[in-house]
Amino acid sequence: MFDTTGFWKDIFIFILVLVVVYTLLKIFVLKYFKNKDRAKSIGLNIALVIGIFYLFFRIFKVIDDNFPDFSTMFMMTNIVNQALQVSVLALATTGIVLIFKTSATTNFAQGMIATFGAFVAAKLIQYFTLNYTDLSVTNMVFLAMIGGAITAFLFGIFVDAVIIRNSKDKTPIGKQMITMGLVLVLAGAMPLIFGKILLPIPKMSYEPNIAFKLFGIDLFITVHAYYALIITVVLLVVLFSMLRFTKWGLGVRATASNELVAGMMGVNTKIITSMSWAIAGLLGAVAAVMLTPNATNVTVALMTPTQVNAFMAAILGSFSSFLGPLVATVLIPVLTGLLSLIVPLWQNAVVYLFILAIVLVKPMGLFGKKIAKKV
Amino acid sequence: MICRTEVCKDRKARIKQITNHPYFGFFIITFLMLIVQLLRAAGVPVSNTLVRAFGITMIYIIVALGFSILLGYAGLASLGTAGFVGIGTYILGYFTKNLEASVFIVILVSIVGAIVIGLIVGFISLRIEGMYLAIITLGLSEILNEVFKNAVSITNGTNGLGLDSQLILFKNLIFIDHNTIFIVTAIIMFFMMILTLNLIKSPTGRALLAMRNSTSAAQAMGVSILKYRLMAFIVSTVYAMLGGVIYMSYISFSIPTTWSLAFSLNILAAVIVGGSQSIYGIVLGTFMIFGLNLGVFQQFDFFKNNPAISVMFNGLLIILVIMFYPGGLIRLVTTTYYKLKKALAKLKTKWREYRYGSDN
Repeated sequence: MFDTTGFWKDIFIFILVLVVVYTLLKIFVLKYFKNKDRAKSIGLNIALVIGIFYLFFRIFKVIDDNFPDFSTMFMMTNIVNQALQVSVLALATTGIVLIFKTSATTNFAQGMIATFGAFVAAKLIQYFTLNYTDLSVTNMVFLAMIGGAITAFLFGIFVDAVIIRNSKDKTPIGKQMITMGLVLVLAGAMPLIFGKILLPIPKMSYEPNIAFKLFGIDLFITVHAYYALIITVVLLVVLFSMLRFTKWGLGVRATASNELVAGMMGVNTKIITSMSWAIAGLLGAVAAVMLTPNATNVTVALMTPTQVNAFMAAILGSFSSFLGPLVATVLIPVLTGLLSLIVPLWQNAVVYLFILAIVLVKPMGLFGKKIAKKV
Repeated sequence: MICRTEVCKDRKARIKQITNHPYFGFFIITFLMLIVQLLRAAGVPVSNTLVRAFGITMIYIIVALGFSILLGYAGLASLGTAGFVGIGTYILGYFTKNLEASVFIVILVSIVGAIVIGLIVGFISLRIEGMYLAIITLGLSEILNEVFKNAVSITNGTNGLGLDSQLILFKNLIFIDHNTIFIVTAIIMFFMMILTLNLIKSPTGRALLAMRNSTSAAQAMGVSILKYRLMAFIVSTVYAMLGGVIYMSYISFSIPTTWSLAFSLNILAAVIVGGSQSIYGIVLGTFMIFGLNLGVFQQFDFFKNNPAISVMFNGLLIILVIMFYPGGLIRLVTTTYYKLKKALAKLKTKWREYRYGSDN
């Protein structure tokens, strides 16, 4: 792949595209913005994303001359194929970012709390299949999902109110260690609580795939992924509008900017933090229930890859914004899907290396602002 | 027993001189570790699992010592330990099996490799701080794990790399006697403890501590962040890789699933539970996390059938220690020791008052 001259030509074109797009942006768009620094970083990021996607189109051309013109189609199919992964990752990442905003710590137990919810959901499904035989699969999974989500919600409150709040070591690193300990506790407790029986969760629907056309390309999506996408979009829209328009959202934003001052101004930071832990748990549990049919059974290690990817997405998109990580959650599964065709088995390693490289260049992530530190 | 003669007083002073020496405690720990092996040599039937548990605990103590320099002194939380230990095991496996290199060459190569990796991670840590670093090193560890799984020609993939109990020493193929490796490990552990103590009591250790408390203040006092961060990472990686080499020569088997996130978390747990700034604390913590499980719990069928319980126990320990004793269990031990001493002294004075009457 690297010895073909076309590849290096592509890299050259890629850099050229970056420069041209950035210059155009700078000349025609940026001068109309008041806040120049922020606009500049947004412009640079748009240029970066466009350039990266362009590079991947070109790589396909180098690999196989047979589908030069189908590269767009390939991209689209890939994005649609990864719809489920994207929605799961988006929910998990939003949970992590929400906790980071209010508690200033990275929650390593997010995946485990989510798996706990999935276990409860699977138990509920077992109960429903035994006692309510007339319930359809879709309704059953939805009911179980709600049950699991409520469990994770309560568990989130428990973690914040009982463990984190009473901890003597309240530094961010200390809290992080607590969540790491929680990972071990839950990993040990779940097999004990739920036994060694296999607990499957069925797909939300087994109807035939939905076919549709986009940009003149025939695509199809499984009904399960379709439902997952709808649930994700609904949950995220509700969450973001809550953050934007309700008092709770205002409180979260105030706490995120400065917890101490927010507390002095009359914001009940305790409830705000507990609620964000709870909502993070809820989002995670929904994600875990949606992910389980891929692995057929709920296992302790169910959410571990998602957890790592979610951290990577949060770092790539920057912890300081909510929308940046969401862009990254689309990018990571799509890149992984593409790379699994080019370098099978190595796709995760390549994606992580790629993220490491970006973070080294931009330590605050693609969409982050650099915060000047006072001494 | 009260000393009255000059000879007796002299002897007592000499004994005190020995027991107060900073290396004395390390010597005692090493000796306690070796007791199992000595008992075995004396003919007492000691089960294989117990000896193995002690051996593995010693190896993990070496790894944890390196990690404590990073966490306790430089204040950098890293989750890449598992990957680095894994590299050490694979270096020994590959060099012995395929290149037929001597153990000393392997150790040299692993130290050079550790310095290179430490430099890379150190430079990353200069750009990325705090909690971000934990995530980035976690990503690095995941990359390494993927490499272990997929580079089949070197690591034998997910089947694991076996060594058939052989090592090459001065161009001679020797078959390892695990008991010998056990003793060698104990000696290496002893010297590693001494090295760590000297490192943390030196100006380097003080510079690291200053950096941990406040990077800005440390810089203002003339501490070079670049130099000491890189050094902390290099030292920690060298310890981890050395641990990996010893692990491979003792266990003779390495499989990618061992070098996962759980291993890094367990090492972290050991350092946190014991107390990240004390060598005795690290020994205690490693025993709590690994030794207790491998040596004691695994003897019972109940724990053997439910390995999850010991995992849960480790997690609970971490949470409880951070919640109530942020300094680690060793601080609890020392505070109780001093409290007991104080109470005893009080009791003594009371008894004297009762016996001889009070002063006033």
